[in-house]
Amino acid sequence: MSFLELSGVAKSYGPVTALAGVDLAVESGSRTAIVGPSGCGKTTLLRLIAGFEAPDRGRITLDGKVLANGGAAVPAHRRGIGVVAQDGALFPHLSIADNIGFGMARSEDRRNERIVELAYIVGLDKAVLKRRPHELSGGQQQRVALARAMAMKPRLMLLDEPFSALDTGLRASMRKAVAELLEEAGITTILVTHDQAEALSFASQVAVMRDGLFSQVGTPRELYFQPRDRMVAEFLGDAIILPAKIADGFAMSPLGRIAVDTKERRDVARIMLRPEQILLKRTSREGMSGTPDMLFGEVTDCEFAGSVCTVAVRLLNSPDPPDAAAIGNTPLILRKTGMDAPAVGEIVRLTVTGKAHVFA
Amino acid sequence: MFGDRLVDDSRLRFDPPEWHIAPLPPAGGGDPAACLMQSTIDMTPARLPAARMKERRPTSWITLAAALISLVALLPLAFIVWVAIQTGWDTVAALIFRARVGELLVNTVLLVLVTVPIAIVLSVALAWLTERSDLPGNRWWSWLSVAPLAIPAFVHSYAWISLVPGLHGLWAGVLVSVIAYFPFLYLPIAAALRRLDPALEDAAAALGLGPWRVFARVVLPQLRLAICGGSLLVGLHLLAEYGLYVFIRFDTFTTAIVDQFQSTFNGPAANMLAAVLVVCCLFLLALEVMIRGEERYARVGSGAARKQQRARLGRATLPCLLLPAGVALLSLGVPFVTVSRWLLAGGTEVWRWDEISLALGQTLFLAIAGAVLATLAAMPMAWISIRAPGPLQRLLESCNYIVGALPGVVTALALVTITVRVALPLYQTLFTILFGYALMFLPRALVSLRASIAQAPVELERAASSLGRSPVKALWSTTVRLSAPGAAAGMAMVALGITNELTATQMLAPNGTRTLAMAFWSYSGEIDYASAAPYALIMVAMSLPMTWWLYIQSKRMAGR
Amino acid sequence: MKIALSTLAGAALALGLIAGPAIAEDQGIIVYNAQHESLAKEWAKGFTKETGIKVTLRNGGDSDFSNQIVAEGAASPADVFLTENSPAMALVEAAGLFAPVDAETLAQVPQEYQPSTGKWVGVAARSTVFAYNKDKLKADQLPKSLLDLADPSWKGRWAASPSGADFQAIVSALLELKGEAATADWLKAMKENFTAYKGNSTVMKAVNAGEIDGGVIYHYYYFGDQAKTGENSRNVALHYFKNQDPGAFVSISGGGVLASSKHPKEAQAFLKWVTGKGGQDVLKTGTSYEYAVGKDAQSNPKLVPLADLQAPKVDPARLNSKKVIELMTQAGLL
Repeated sequence: MSFLELSGVAKSYGPVTALAGVDLAVESGSRTAIVGPSGCGKTTLLRLIAGFEAPDRGRITLDGKVLANGGAAVPAHRRGIGVVAQDGALFPHLSIADNIGFGMARSEDRRNERIVELAYIVGLDKAVLKRRPHELSGGQQQRVALARAMAMKPRLMLLDEPFSALDTGLRASMRKAVAELLEEAGITTILVTHDQAEALSFASQVAVMRDGLFSQVGTPRELYFQPRDRMVAEFLGDAIILPAKIADGFAMSPLGRIAVDTKERRDVARIMLRPEQILLKRTSREGMSGTPDMLFGEVTDCEFAGSVCTVAVRLLNSPDPPDAAAIGNTPLILRKTGMDAPAVGEIVRLTVTGKAHVFA
Repeated sequence: MFGDRLVDDSRLRFDPPEWHIAPLPPAGGGDPAACLMQSTIDMTPARLPAARMKERRPTSWITLAAALISLVALLPLAFIVWVAIQTGWDTVAALIFRARVGELLVNTVLLVLVTVPIAIVLSVALAWLTERSDLPGNRWWSWLSVAPLAIPAFVHSYAWISLVPGLHGLWAGVLVSVIAYFPFLYLPIAAALRRLDPALEDAAAALGLGPWRVFARVVLPQLRLAICGGSLLVGLHLLAEYGLYVFIRFDTFTTAIVDQFQSTFNGPAANMLAAVLVVCCLFLLALEVMIRGEERYARVGSGAARKQQRARLGRATLPCLLLPAGVALLSLGVPFVTVSRWLLAGGTEVWRWDEISLALGQTLFLAIAGAVLATLAAMPMAWISIRAPGPLQRLLESCNYIVGALPGVVTALALVTITVRVALPLYQTLFTILFGYALMFLPRALVSLRASIAQAPVELERAASSLGRSPVKALWSTTVRLSAPGAAAGMAMVALGITNELTATQMLAPNGTRTLAMAFWSYSGEIDYASAAPYALIMVAMSLPMTWWLYIQSKRMAGR
Repeated sequence: MKIALSTLAGAALALGLIAGPAIAEDQGIIVYNAQHESLAKEWAKGFTKETGIKVTLRNGGDSDFSNQIVAEGAASPADVFLTENSPAMALVEAAGLFAPVDAETLAQVPQEYQPSTGKWVGVAARSTVFAYNKDKLKADQLPKSLLDLADPSWKGRWAASPSGADFQAIVSALLELKGEAATADWLKAMKENFTAYKGNSTVMKAVNAGEIDGGVIYHYYYFGDQAKTGENSRNVALHYFKNQDPGAFVSISGGGVLASSKHPKEAQAFLKWVTGKGGQDVLKTGTSYEYAVGKDAQSNPKLVPLADLQAPKVDPARLNSKKVIELMTQAGLL
């Protein structure tokens, strides 16, 4: 039995269905990310686990204990689940020290030592303890919120888009620091986010959510390279989706013969490649001749953006694929390093590495 | 972070007028760098020395005007000090340190100490029920909790005394005061409750606090500002009210000052009572500043707050309904029943239309003229308090608030004496009474104006300047125009105050003046309650729209 | 909503603009009126009807007006001063602010109802009474003298309106008749014994409701209420002290013309009219129930005749309101 189990959890607000019956299992000590576009129901799910609201149907158990079953629910303050909200939700009327110590009993001995210790753990300077929340930067506020939640030694920590208010650079470093910290403390963590990169890098298990249901649950790699459907594929990153004919572990596609991750045989199928699987090599029109099994393209656009360069490539000699009209002359959009990017009008040779994923 | 803030502020921007030229594509939505760059460009002209010189000029005129008005506002206070010095210490001591002053002090202090806490508890309970619970009809109850403001305090008292003729003393005073003034606490508390970020309550619950402790440790502390402000307002009204306590025979400083005034006109005894009363007011003001502290209770962080959940009352619904229903019955039902009863008893005979229409017209005239004057006087101070704040400005501004906090009887007494002794041509003139109103109600106008000027970004003024308007014209075409709704709001508040003003009006009014409040007071003084009833009804009818507007405004300020 | 609101504001403004200037328009003679508003209004109406001279009333109390007139001095806007009691008149007279009253006017009023100086004249009179609740007090339990109310046995049982000039006039008579020390003692005892109300009507109302056994007021409040609905006097009876007791004091309401008046002729005419047949008839037939003081004037037949009251002899010119306020302030009554 898993540490946290949700089965058939459903919640509606009037006519709006927020959750349509969700199942999820979270192992002890693991990190799970729930990712989905805004309004998909992920925050509602988090609120149900935290106990801020009760589900209409379904069961939530934590470590074998039933937290919610149908309408009956253990209230939030008896669950011992830590929550870090989107913007920290620090108490504006209390100092940082009192914010961190909020969940501790006032009489708890070593209260002050523990507050200092927690501040240290989350990387806060001791000097900020006397300040008020509004005097802190966004990143510091998040650290306080984390320390406050950790103070009550929760078995489960819920993070509700805690990094979304931070700058891009700070976001990545905070994410890594928090992940390591919770790992060390052995706290099971669930992160809710709409940022797919955050979900993939943070978690050991990712659940993609849409319209109140999980589209797919699995490891980050599984989800990225073997998404169940087009929506999951595109949600987690750029995807090149092509019509193909598959047989014997290979696909015949507009990009030629590509290895796929299935042995089955199908005349009409769709395959997915991540753009980074396609390599470009500079050549010239002269270089194209006499190499019929190779694939060439012309660069029609190139947008330089510093480290990355977005390149549009129109295929010049696509082997005749099934329903080729579907892609026609639509150029492939690829991202390459900014250094040594091809210029518009240049001819490039395309090669595919790794296997393409076949949608069921 | 910085970028986020800028994006946040953009919500305050106004819809652009219809463009006839194709607009430029939006500059990258939430791209922080783009916003940062734009704002850098915007600010460059202001750094040029020539531009700054031009900007300074209206500022200095306005500062001068604001300083002048603030100093003039100090007249009543200066007068009290002057009288004390003139009277000589021995007489002052004899007039202040006597048993009667002690009695009045005990009465007044007890009244404030008992009334304010009861009003706080009642208002918090009502605000919570109407804003945070699923009480049936909570919008109605919310309005009914504000509506008692439309009834002048002395009409409340009149209603109660006709219903329970023997009502008198401290507890009667507390009862009627709570009923008449609790909306001053309810309004800010309800608004604060609406604004509270529910995420904080969730966070506290997740940290292991039960609902009651969440309320005590998270919700209540965040209501502190609202409670402080509301309590101050109630406290000052308790100190200043006259009519209410006369009906129920409870002597406070204000009633005693009026008694002395009626016995000796502007004798030193009245002025020394006024001095003690002023000290009480200043004490309350200082106390509020101390308790409030320099706190910030706004939401930390960005993004919109989640919509609050309402607590389910379940089986407690019925008992909970009893509270707002009971309060509505006492605060609205009693005056309604009494006034109706007297109107029925009086029949058509009490509707002396010639008298009533004259009083109505005069009241309206005084209210409108006073409101315009107070708003004009508040404009310079409001402008510099937003555009050029500083220590001197804060000092000047606080002068206005202190004088506004003084009871009308004190201001009126000072003006009567000053005009009689020094400026006789102004004695008993329209000018003096309007001047008195302006002093008394300036803070009302100031608060509304400030809020609305704060909403008009200075960039607009600069943009207007850059489009070729002179500074004053730029000010007129942007800030003044945009703050017009706030100015109107302030005027309405002042007009409401003047409509229901009694003591200062009686002391300052030019010969032949008879306002609604004066007529009401004169009839009820002769126990002709039936003849007083139409005036009570008209005052309530005039106040209702303004109270409604206040209610709507408080909802809007809270963003819901 | 927006349109409705601006329409309303517009209408309000218009009404204000029409009525507002009424404050500033020609006001005829200005009367500082400390008498009951209803009585003064009838006088003003009758006078204007007969002479065409407009009268503007400013309503207030004896004491505040007398002090106010003194403070205003020569610049007072008032032409005529009407009071309910004599002390306020004496105060203004002492400040030398009254013009002599026309001889014709003085001749209309008996000597005993005007001061020897002829600076003002009596316009009406009222008698002190002890109004009591018939269910609470029997005839033999009534006080024999006003001074009896200082007795501890009366603690918490009687009421008065000490801030009003009416009661202050009664105290001034006591001061004139019994001297300063006795008055101060009596006031001290009063502070212990009595319950304060604002206004004599309120005192009578409380007596009627049985909140208190009795109160020291003037007689006409009772008759006025009886003539209306009797709602506030149903259980009330009046006790006249008589016997030249200070409590039998008859207070003279005065009228005078200010020396600074800008309309002396009209002001004198007004005073003449009030003390003449027209004005005194208002007292007889109107709802004021105050005693008429004109030479041949009749009071309302419902009243106990003035001659039967056995009032103490007090020269109205000698009543000292300043001293009374001082003593009452010392006693903690003000």
